[in-house]
Amino acid sequence: MPRLIIDEREIEVPEGTKVIDAAEMLGIVIPRFCYHEALGSVGACRMCAVKFIQGPFKGVQMSCMIEAQDGMVVSTTDQEAVEFRKRVIELLMKNHPLDCPVCDEGGQCLLQDETISGGHAMRRFPGPKRTYRDQYLGPFIKHEMNRCIHCYRCSRFYQEFAGYRDLGPMQIGDRLYFGRFSDGCLESPFSGNLVDICPTGVYTDKTARFKLRRWDLQRAPGLCNQCSLGCNTVANAHYRGVMRMEARFNRDVNGYFLCDAGRFGFSYANGDPGLWRRPLFPKIAGEVAGAADALSAARKALDDIAAKNGPGAVAVVGSQRNSLETQSMMNLVCETRGWLGPVFFFDPAMRLKTLSAVHELDGEIAVSMKQIENADFILVVGADPLNEAPMSAMAIRQAARKKAPVVTIDPRPVSLPCDSQHFAVLPKDIESYLGALILKAMGKDAASLGSESENFRAYLGSQLENFNPPESLDQCARLLAASSKPVIICGTDVTMETTPAFAADCVRLLNLCEKQAGLFNLLPGAGSFGAGLLSRTEVPTFADLVEYIENGRVRGLVFAESDPFHCYPDRARLESALSKLDFFLALDYFPSETARRASVFYPASTIFETGATFLNQEGRAQFASPVHCGGEPIRPGEHPPRVYSGLVPGGDHLPAWKALASIAGMEETCPDIAPEKFVPPSIPGFEALGYPVDGQRPALAKSGFKTQWGLNTFDKSQAPLTFELLMVEWIFGTSEFSAWSDSLAPAVLPPLMSISAKDAVRLGLADKDKVSVELAGGELEIVVSVSDRTAESVLIVPRHNGLEWQKSHDFRVFVSSEKIRKI
Amino acid sequence: MLPDQLRSKLREMIAGAESPREKAIDVMYAIQELQGWMNDEAMVEAAQLLAMSPLELEELATFYDYIYRSPVGKFVIKVCDSTVCWLEGQLRLTDYISSRLGIGLGQTSADGLFTLLPVCCIGYCDRAPAMVINKRVYGNLTPEKIDRILAQLAQKADFSGSE
Ligand code: SF4
Ligand code: SF4
Ligand code: FES
Repeated sequence: MPRLIIDEREIEVPEGTKVIDAAEMLGIVIPRFCYHEALGSVGACRMCAVKFIQGPFKGVQMSCMIEAQDGMVVSTTDQEAVEFRKRVIELLMKNHPLDCPVCDEGGQCLLQDETISGGHAMRRFPGPKRTYRDQYLGPFIKHEMNRCIHCYRCSRFYQEFAGYRDLGPMQIGDRLYFGRFSDGCLESPFSGNLVDICPTGVYTDKTARFKLRRWDLQRAPGLCNQCSLGCNTVANAHYRGVMRMEARFNRDVNGYFLCDAGRFGFSYANGDPGLWRRPLFPKIAGEVAGAADALSAARKALDDIAAKNGPGAVAVVGSQRNSLETQSMMNLVCETRGWLGPVFFFDPAMRLKTLSAVHELDGEIAVSMKQIENADFILVVGADPLNEAPMSAMAIRQAARKKAPVVTIDPRPVSLPCDSQHFAVLPKDIESYLGALILKAMGKDAASLGSESENFRAYLGSQLENFNPPESLDQCARLLAASSKPVIICGTDVTMETTPAFAADCVRLLNLCEKQAGLFNLLPGAGSFGAGLLSRTEVPTFADLVEYIENGRVRGLVFAESDPFHCYPDRARLESALSKLDFFLALDYFPSETARRASVFYPASTIFETGATFLNQEGRAQFASPVHCGGEPIRPGEHPPRVYSGLVPGGDHLPAWKALASIAGMEETCPDIAPEKFVPPSIPGFEALGYPVDGQRPALAKSGFKTQWGLNTFDKSQAPLTFELLMVEWIFGTSEFSAWSDSLAPAVLPPLMSISAKDAVRLGLADKDKVSVELAGGELEIVVSVSDRTAESVLIVPRHNGLEWQKSHDFRVFVSSEKIRKI
Repeated sequence: MLPDQLRSKLREMIAGAESPREKAIDVMYAIQELQGWMNDEAMVEAAQLLAMSPLELEELATFYDYIYRSPVGKFVIKVCDSTVCWLEGQLRLTDYISSRLGIGLGQTSADGLFTLLPVCCIGYCDRAPAMVINKRVYGNLTPEKIDRILAQLAQKADFSGSE
């Protein structure tokens, strides 16, 4: 490891560290524009000049271009280097419009900082400035090209790093322009990172435009809770509203970046004044009530039901967006009070899949997103990374940039921002493809693998009996065989119940063949890992619960951050079940239908107001700090409510778990949040950590090969000429966050049903045809999208907020061909 | 829309290449040969043929002096403005052409015959000052020589005969 001296201080740095980074380790931040750790060095801006005094380089050189070496002596304050940087910044400012007062970057601008620190104040160049016409770049990003200093960060991020092809440099010399071929929405779902990465105000956050200055903001380290990855954010609040989200660096998780759904999907927390308002006040029977009244009314109603019908007549329902605190409290309440639950899952199959994804993942095979980036072979099975967990697609791309082959096995027309080999197969065939690939790539005879994997291999063999893999699979198997650090990315949305465990054992099998293979699961929501971990097997799913309600066994319900109108596939049945209840309570921050209909509604706080712990899909516990106290946001032109009270109007909410504790009469036993106190002792790892836990993976136990293979209950049969209706997620438009965040609305595309080209011919359909699909609950009208990357015999439909997919009436649905009509 | 004949010619040309995008410049040349410059529609169509995004083709087109993204005259005069030509009086010559044709740099004469552009070094330093008109290079320029060249060209009506 090289040792060098920078500004008279010695430091030892890892091989390959650039001098600019070595200095940063000493706390010396050398000015830079073009250099960014994630993008690498290009030496374009000349701003990072330092003087090399001793060692292999001499004189003024770019610190971003030179790797630290033994014996180097570097000065960042040498007069010559200082002068050099001063000239550079003067030149870079030659064309700048000096419009900081109206620039949203002002106050957090690298260009401002480095102009000042470079000592440039007076303009000497009398010539005209070059000016540009700005482009419309879509709902998220505002473009103001006059501020550009040509560092190329934007195009390097957009094209090289993220893999999109519609923004880049055009023209030359003084006309150099960064933008699109013509005005239009940026195609990349990672476009928001341009705001963070551009050192000037060329790209600014349109959703926050003219609303804030950095120094006015309340800032706190937060988390994105919109998918299972748990990307790290900085949440920014102002005037009781969440105003903007920035990426927070986390080497193992999201690196420097976020996806657009996560970055711009926060406006639900403010209650958009336009379409819907976040419900800020408690309600009893639809009438606004005081918080204490609402809580005690709920407590009384539930106690009455329990007294009359036994505690099992009250059930507690959560969802995939609960924090670990909420999940733990639901567990504790149910245990203590004997209430039924907590019910975390709506779909019984999803519960099985989540549980096996959680329990089969052990510390030896779990990999982080960072490790995906370093994988040398990536196998995506039953997962659509860009739609289910967008940032994982970015991680896959980084591996692909280093030449890792990427193979996808999925019924959907999975597309990634990198080259990939796609096998369009039905969910029931995913395991066969995966198994065949692994067997072919193992290159070891069974005898040498030991008895540990015997059971699994026998199962594998039986699964592959009548399976004739296509030849293209051989080619992939050879590449897999040649890899040393392969990663399997396994989804839970469309896969069979057994697939997550199957994928885990495939990884273990690879590891028996001298590979360092890893597993990366994608789960349905930010709270899924916790739900899987805390789920008790005797607890029903929501599908069962509906039956219990129908037959009168359950008479009272608590919905904690949960909206069955969004998740349950049979709306009519749900409505009638809820109307049978004596009482139901909703604790939520969304203005959901459940919240509207609830006997008592209590406005739970968001992640921004009270903070929360989430376990991401690799079991990493992360804590989001609260950023503000919430309350009625102060909107331009509006006076805050004239209420005389010591409280912030609309800001005295408890988090769902505290409200629940109070309703259950348990606030005494649980004075404050601390998962190590109420995560059940059967789950090891938490006690030792204290609270809040951040960044560790306490929940991963060693599990090894599954011993009970072959108890497969998945019904693989499918009648000829029928189609399985696969309901899937989209990055924009299917989640609850997307439903209640105005800020995401412009990015939502109209729903499309994807079918394979062959099926289209069979059904006499063409791309963009509108069809009606007859489902149990009525006709679903949708436009068809034909793709040769979609598997045959499936209809792929997004759970789109603008689509009544709840007409499907079940979680698993088959449709015969005569039920599909062109209209 | 590109004429069918041209399109199939371009397809053939691209099919012969190892990767389509290496033919980007040739494709744009071929289109320019026919219609003089690359309009937006032609850019989009060419990009499609080349399996590039329109932006990627635009990056190339606007980087490269010899692709025109706005209409040009029949004869595009490119005066070298690099060091040696500059030493040999390029500025004066450019002014001369300018005043002869009544156009500034980047402009096209009213009769649609001439467009005047600067270009960087064309490798004719030994015969500086030099210029290129369409695909032909002229060196050792003097006002008299320029008069002759312009007069000759003005007589030619046919674009393709300008070589
Ligand atoms: S737009 Fe921003 S990131 Fe892009 S080159 Fe200009 S200053 Fe750099
Ligand atoms: S990838 Fe998931 S966790 Fe990360 S920013 Fe996007 S939605 Fe949020
Ligand atoms: S940061 Fe080193 S040259 Fe730009």
